[in-house]
Amino acid sequence: MQVGFLDYYSGVLNVREARAALLANNIANADTPNYKAVDVSFNDALAAQLDANQTGNAPNAASSAAYRATGVVGLNGNDVSLDAERVESAANGEAMLGATSFLRQSTGDLVTALRPNPGGI
Amino acid sequence: MGGTDLFDIVGSALTAQDARLGAIASNLANVDSVTPPGQQPYRAQEVIFAASPVGDGADDGGDNNDGDATDGVDVTAAVNADLGVQVAGSVETNAPPVTKYDPGSPYADAQGNVTGSNVSQVDQMVDLIDSSNSYAASVAVLQQASRIDQQMLASFQVS
Repeated sequence: MQVGFLDYYSGVLNVREARAALLANNIANADTPNYKAVDVSFNDALAAQLDANQTGNAPNAASSAAYRATGVVGLNGNDVSLDAERVESAANGEAMLGATSFLRQSTGDLVTALRPNPGGI
Repeated sequence: MGGTDLFDIVGSALTAQDARLGAIASNLANVDSVTPPGQQPYRAQEVIFAASPVGDGADDGGDNNDGDATDGVDVTAAVNADLGVQVAGSVETNAPPVTKYDPGSPYADAQGNVTGSNVSQVDQMVDLIDSSNSYAASVAVLQQASRIDQQMLASFQVS
């Protein structure tokens, strides 16, 4: 079965939501000793999600999570940068809104196409 | 995704930072506390955080060994577990208590020294700034998440 736009956007929104949780978790653990920031690669996670939708497996958006390992590790072994996480979180949220807008537009067109013609022409 | 809601994560962060702010306030309040001879002086409390335990209550249903590059990274279990932060406990710092020569004080010992607390005001203020920065970041995430939720709901509103 081909991936329809509903499947696609459900995958996108699932991955975005999982990523929002991960970023919030990074911020929550900004002062936890020896914590390392975790993130998902959006492309990999989306591919895994669409693959799971195809095969009917339980979707697992976070399966491609990895340590980000870009920050400076502080004296307490923590490499979370609050600023970077907030920027990522904002970008992630806006992308989520964007996906929602596209989904809304697409479903709107679909509903219009399905609607019986009131004029009967 | 993992089993934890974003709002739970932010809530755990706010609770943890609140405990830390409480400890800092207690330390700063006791910065000038003095102790009678023979009693333990006030020692600065430091709150220790821990990430939520890995593998605890994790429904590891989606563990895939499909051989892709990320399978070697052992964070999947962590991600499927509960996210968030919790207070692991608090420790007393082991800096030596400050002693001051003040023979007139009722708490002075035989040599005229008064034992105070071991709180470093500068350390506590730095901790306070760090903690309130983290608190503000968590609140910002909370506000942003609820704004986006609202806008997503509004965009699907049938007019």
